[in-house]
Amino acid sequence: MELLHNLAVGFGVALTPANLFFALTGALIGTLIGVLPGIGPIATIAMLLPLTFHLEPTSGLIMLAGIFYGAQYGGSTTAILVNLPGETSSVVTCIDGHQMARQGRAGAALAVAALGSFFAGCISTTLIATFAPPLAKVGQSFGAPEYFSLMVLGLIAAVVLAHGSVIKAIAMIVLGLLFGLVGTDGNTGGTRFTFGITELTDGIDIATLAIGIFGIGEIITNLTQPQETRGLVAKKITRLWPTGEDFRRAWPAVLRGTALGSVLGVLPGGGATLSAFAAYALEKRSSKHPEQFGHGAVEGVAGPESANNAGAQTSFIPMLTLGIPGNAVMALMIGAFTIHGIQPGPQIMSERPGMFWGMVASMWIGNLMLVIINLPLIGMWVQLLKVPYRFLYLAILLFCGIGVYTVSNSAAGGAFRRARLRFHAARMRAGADDPRLRAGSADGGESSPRDANFERRPGDLRRAADQPRLVDRSACALRAGGAPGHSQQAGRGVPGIAALLHHAHCRPRCTDALHTDCRALHVLKHATDENEHRAWQ
Amino acid sequence: MSLGEGQNNLPNPFWRMLARRDVLAGLLFIGVATLGLWLSRDYPIGTALRMGTGYVPRLLCWILLGLGAVVVVQGLREAQDVRPLSSADFSALRPLVFVTASLVIFGLSIERLGLVISILLLIGVGAVAARALRPLETLAAALVLIVLSWGIFILGLGLTIPVWPEW
Repeated sequence: MELLHNLAVGFGVALTPANLFFALTGALIGTLIGVLPGIGPIATIAMLLPLTFHLEPTSGLIMLAGIFYGAQYGGSTTAILVNLPGETSSVVTCIDGHQMARQGRAGAALAVAALGSFFAGCISTTLIATFAPPLAKVGQSFGAPEYFSLMVLGLIAAVVLAHGSVIKAIAMIVLGLLFGLVGTDGNTGGTRFTFGITELTDGIDIATLAIGIFGIGEIITNLTQPQETRGLVAKKITRLWPTGEDFRRAWPAVLRGTALGSVLGVLPGGGATLSAFAAYALEKRSSKHPEQFGHGAVEGVAGPESANNAGAQTSFIPMLTLGIPGNAVMALMIGAFTIHGIQPGPQIMSERPGMFWGMVASMWIGNLMLVIINLPLIGMWVQLLKVPYRFLYLAILLFCGIGVYTVSNSAAGGAFRRARLRFHAARMRAGADDPRLRAGSADGGESSPRDANFERRPGDLRRAADQPRLVDRSACALRAGGAPGHSQQAGRGVPGIAALLHHAHCRPRCTDALHTDCRALHVLKHATDENEHRAWQ
Repeated sequence: MSLGEGQNNLPNPFWRMLARRDVLAGLLFIGVATLGLWLSRDYPIGTALRMGTGYVPRLLCWILLGLGAVVVVQGLREAQDVRPLSSADFSALRPLVFVTASLVIFGLSIERLGLVISILLLIGVGAVAARALRPLETLAAALVLIVLSWGIFILGLGLTIPVWPEW
């Protein structure tokens, strides 16, 4: 009953004209970049982060979410028609999808992929609506030890789920941790690896790393490869609707793919790509006709396509309920929340029900829009592939550059820092409600990890009441001339595996029991930033 | 970076041994770890109970150093069945160098020289990365992109990026 009520609230938010528009925009942009190889949802979301300043938080997040799941639809279109996966998550769709297209069954393959994705999207959205609230309740009682354990789990999962050499996976995690160390040490206030560059004292920004690793990295890889030949399927798509035989074989695969994708999406390091690969392996193994795989087996399209959409959507669950990004896209989504001064985590559902349920409802609507608009638009998307990559990469390069610049440096960057200030100040005020902050206030900076359990001991409320003093203290310090303090990037992360790394390193340090003073200094730093900004204006 | 660069036909067995995927990856890890250790040489270490600024970085660098060494050894031992790097792999350095350079130049110039000139620089240097681009095409692409980004970011979003050089 409560679920229905919540969903009613959500649809009330998602069905306003503005939010419908942004869901549609996000889904369309997502499909577009899904179709285009060489640009993925990560780089796109990073590029569009500055744009979300100017939107309502809910609208911005609806749009960014739309980009992510829209890309899953778009990626399959080119995989089937041109044997060119637009996204890594649709690589396996190429195997059987393109074979189907060659046999003249392109329409059926596209329809199975779209309908399977739609079904998976509906189911996984229902899963979010059903399981997120209880999970958030559990999350609310989490203190530092629990978060620490989750980080360890995330790091281990990142190693286990990595393809290829385990040693290299561990080495990359260590490398990511090292990147996370750049900037000011929350413990001592000393700076590390900054080369005397002021900009680096704040650490490496998440959008910067995401664009560097995924945006620029992809451009370089694509340029390295010889000019690809894009053999379009010349045959006109005549029959869109799959045959009864296709349906009968596809629906169990869709069910299996949805189930598998939903589970793998929740795991740290999981998400769309892993789900698709796992689903293809599962289909091949469980099929009675494994020899048909690779020659246009409809299960080989239905399973992975459902799985990647399910995985893309359920990966929102840990982000929305615990504030932990399972993959790089979720790390960027956290960045988007932070821009608006919202801390993703267990409290989001109780504090901003409209936003949470609006997002969930918009996923339903977005999926429906994608099915309806995409099938007729397939021809247009394929035409887009004719834009030569040598023009495309210049545009991507430029927008990446401007995107990073605006997020971290310009007036928008000032707004970003102001947002962070508001965010930290709000957290201070909310100290009594936030178990992690309560734990922090308990020990006045001289802390041992044990004190993280403090919130469970009596008398903590009295101490929590001390919280506002911190703000006062930093305000005094500011009036007194304010030494450069240090800032932590709580709630923000470094993408992908590195996201987990960065968070493992940075989040517990900042939010848990270790440094009350660190937080005061934060506010100080942000307040200083804001003052500078005002003076500059 | 200097490892194997330009060693197109790799005549020397020593170079051939180094120019293997895993060996290079391991050497990269070792290089980063060494750099990290060198940079953090003056950071106070402290104790495990009261960690100094240098405690975690140095710990991580030593771990990375060890892992890098393992990867190198693995690469040397298993290299017989792995395809060694060919000269084509080294031509990949061209986009790597020019794409990176174009972004660095863009970052350095945008506040001083303004949007228009820094876009021209970005496109000019970036276009070198792909061999297929003709000069006239590049110029046309640059003009379109200047108009587009001016329209979106300055007019549309109202970002305060200088458009022309600020003297």
